[in-house]
Amino acid sequence: MNSREKEEYLREYEILKKKGKPFFPYAIMKDSVMMLIVAAVMIVMSIVMGAEQGPKADPTTTTYVPRPEWYFFYLFELLRVIKPPELTPIATIGIPTICMVLLLLLPFYDRGAERIPWKRPIASVTGILVMIAMAYLTYMGAVAGSPTEIEKPTASQYEAGKLITAESGCLACHSIGENGAHGGLGPDLTHIGAKLPRQAIKRSVAVGPGIMPSFDGLGEENLNQVADYLASLD
Amino acid sequence: MKLLPTRKSKQSDAEPEANGEDSGMSARELAVHHSTHKAQDVAGWVDSRTNATGIYTAMLSRHVPKGTNWFYTLGSATMFIFAMQAITGVFLAMYYVPSITQAYGSITHLTNEVFMGEFVRGLHKWGASLMIILIFLHMGRTFFFGAYKYPRELNWIIGVVLLILTTVMGLTGYLLPFDQRSLWATVVANNITGTGPIVGPYLADFLRAGPEVGATTLSRFYSLHMMVVPGLIAALIGAHLFLVVKLGTTAPPWVRAGRPKGSRPSETVEAGVPATDGAGVTAEEALAPAEVDSPAAVADDAAEAGTDGEEVSS
Repeated sequence: MNSREKEEYLREYEILKKKGKPFFPYAIMKDSVMMLIVAAVMIVMSIVMGAEQGPKADPTTTTYVPRPEWYFFYLFELLRVIKPPELTPIATIGIPTICMVLLLLLPFYDRGAERIPWKRPIASVTGILVMIAMAYLTYMGAVAGSPTEIEKPTASQYEAGKLITAESGCLACHSIGENGAHGGLGPDLTHIGAKLPRQAIKRSVAVGPGIMPSFDGLGEENLNQVADYLASLD
Repeated sequence: MKLLPTRKSKQSDAEPEANGEDSGMSARELAVHHSTHKAQDVAGWVDSRTNATGIYTAMLSRHVPKGTNWFYTLGSATMFIFAMQAITGVFLAMYYVPSITQAYGSITHLTNEVFMGEFVRGLHKWGASLMIILIFLHMGRTFFFGAYKYPRELNWIIGVVLLILTTVMGLTGYLLPFDQRSLWATVVANNITGTGPIVGPYLADFLRAGPEVGATTLSRFYSLHMMVVPGLIAALIGAHLFLVVKLGTTAPPWVRAGRPKGSRPSETVEAGVPATDGAGVTAEEALAPAEVDSPAAVADDAAEAGTDGEEVSS
């Protein structure tokens, strides 16, 4: 923006301002209506959804997989998309920092005088693409589900084993039905009961073949229940 | 000078007080009359020291430009949510204990036993989500309307810092209830911070305040969430608003000052009536400079205007 364009803008703005309405009551009225709507939404959300309280924090648990607030999903999902460990810092710090710096400095590299969105296609298209990317990543983060959740229906006698399987973090590497790490480190367990006998499953869980860790620490009774549950998957 | 009207009003006050009966005023009327003057005295006293009415008038009687629409309510809505978060936060702080042994129990007590406790906690929790949504919508409006351009660059920068601080509030608030989600999400966030280049590990150490997320982390997050960040946000909202009042809100970019159209003379007349504001400027006078927009005239104007800094006269 050169000084002629700045002059022109200020002059135009003065005229628009003279043609406009006083802040009070016109703008105040709209602002107040909007604030009332916001307050109503807040109240309804609070009454309908309340404020639940999870189990008490326990630093000794090893199986709890945390989920961030939904407005951090897109950052979280970025971590899952960028898999190689040497690139992790790029996903965690690099991309968000670069985005923030680009955002902060926006008025200093976008110096054109044009303000109409459809007459500055680069800015508008970039803005829309960023919005789509954030919405997509947020959506992916939301539907990924908790890694401690197995939705596949089970007969009631295997529920205990299912719970232990879920809480032991098996889904961090394996997948069961719709849940878990699809294409992750471990094989798909959806039909494991049809492929392996119960004893083999139990031994695998206890020993941890290959890169899989041993889950011997679960104890005999829990191991049996996990084996019963996995053997029932066919 | 400001004190003069106040003194005068005091003198005129004394007169009816002395001759109250003669002027036919009842005792009650006199009392009302007297208290009104007292209120004026108080207002005058405050005003002479703060120029409160001047600030008030500058904020309220300023004009918003032609074409301003509902998109322009998103900023004030975000500020409203911040105020709500501050108020509900104060009430939550009355019951919350920032210690790892008592935090969880104090939240249980607040949620289950305190009158309207769960409601206030719900307002604070969902208000945080709404604030994030509104701040992004407000930023989207500013971006797509090109409102970050000259002369409002600084306000954009303050806005981006406010966005960052709001997400910091979301992050630091997450630990406070001290349930499993809080703890492990904070551990993850802290590990993520630690992967950052150069300052990352130091920042993570500072936030964690110990070998692992625990008691000192909680009190550190509490003071950040309660005092440091809200204070910064409030101060920056003040600066943001000051610049909005000083520079004015933008009009939608497609709204032009325009020229009176020969084919529709009625439009000029309609536009002219509200345009005759206190300054007594008619639409024709206001439009005059826009009509002589010949390149030569503009070049002259630009030459006269001189440096950039002097141009911001509004």
